[in-house]
Amino acid sequence: MCKSPRSCILNAPLVMLYSLHFVAVLFSVAVFAGFFGALLGVGGGIFIVPALVLLFQLPVKLAVAASLVSVIATSNAGGSSYVEQHITNLRLGMFLEVFTTLGALSGSILALYLNEWLMLLLFATLLFYMAATAYITRHHDDRRIAAGGYGDATPDAWSRRLSLSGNYHDHALDRQVDYVVRGTGIGAFVSYLAGMASGLLGVGGGVLKVSAMNRSMNVPMKAAVGTSKMMIGVTAAVGSILFFLAGLIHFYVVAPVALGTTAGAELGTLVMNRLRSVVLKRIFAVLMLYLAYGMLAQALALRFHLVLPSLGS
Amino acid sequence: MPQQLQPAAANVYAVVFRVLFWGMVASTTLFALGVFRALQHPVAIPLANAPLLSVHATWQGLARLDPASLMLAATLLLILTPVVRVVLACIAFGVDHDPKFVAVTGIVLAVIVLTVILGRLGLR
Repeated sequence: MCKSPRSCILNAPLVMLYSLHFVAVLFSVAVFAGFFGALLGVGGGIFIVPALVLLFQLPVKLAVAASLVSVIATSNAGGSSYVEQHITNLRLGMFLEVFTTLGALSGSILALYLNEWLMLLLFATLLFYMAATAYITRHHDDRRIAAGGYGDATPDAWSRRLSLSGNYHDHALDRQVDYVVRGTGIGAFVSYLAGMASGLLGVGGGVLKVSAMNRSMNVPMKAAVGTSKMMIGVTAAVGSILFFLAGLIHFYVVAPVALGTTAGAELGTLVMNRLRSVVLKRIFAVLMLYLAYGMLAQALALRFHLVLPSLGS
Repeated sequence: MPQQLQPAAANVYAVVFRVLFWGMVASTTLFALGVFRALQHPVAIPLANAPLLSVHATWQGLARLDPASLMLAATLLLILTPVVRVVLACIAFGVDHDPKFVAVTGIVLAVIVLTVILGRLGLR
């Protein structure tokens, strides 16, 4: 553990010329992250942190802080679009935000004092988990919608009391999808964990929330993505406030990243409702595996001086 | 059973959409201006922790379109957008006589306030 948040990153004297080339590369990486983030209901931080660490050699705490701010940018951009299309379930999102913000507060406090290699290792573990989950559940959504399974469930007490169930129009399937929300207990618990991952690792935590809403709360993938997209903004804001007050937000890095993720998120939301869930999940699983390997290699090199073969990252 | 969107719910949707959209527009404009100004006179920047500007210095920097001040203001605006969204949603739920969700959004706001207090008091 570090004695103070700033003392953790003092061994990082890298200097970079703030040139058009530097900004263009950062921006392009962020567009990519924002695009896939919007498609998958994640903040894009899951791509931004590895990119900043592996490509730009940025200390992981600064990468996490920059990523958190960019997560808010994708949430504002993608979130507003999903809200406008009424894909987002506002009531469910606001209910789960209670737990994600509490998780984000605990996670970001932990992040300020944790060693870099441990953060990298945790990040790699999260990426491996996400890749496996996305691949295993790739056919789950289309089958359930086709069977009408989302509308047949019985709501639990909290879902009934707070009127959390909803519906949206799916353009790819050209039909209205009704769903009944249940499993609010497990949803609340996973939301807390997702918030913690957000504050600790600079991600939106969207993949955990989307997965929990989809698998445990009976929310179709696209409604879960739209709802998650709105929630990750306030979740990341909690972590960002702490990092901002600790002086760990690098504005020159954040600016092109936020611009890129906003542009990417706008693009992503335009195509998300026209793609099939199974395609989204396949792309996601491959990307996650690739990044997980890179972060694991970085953690092992930092802590144990082990060098794993490079995959080009 | 699933419900159709009620007029009251539609109000909250409209409020949330407007806040997110205009927050995005304003912060994007400031970030773009900041990057543009920074690229006019490229400098070497340390990839380490960035010093925080005081409120006074930030205002002065904004007046002369200083890149660091513009980017700081954009970052703050970005962070505040979802917070304002929660505040306005809380008010919209109140106007729509939905006390349960006034309480839900109130708890979220309380966590945000606690975060600011902890950040200012202890994490330096």
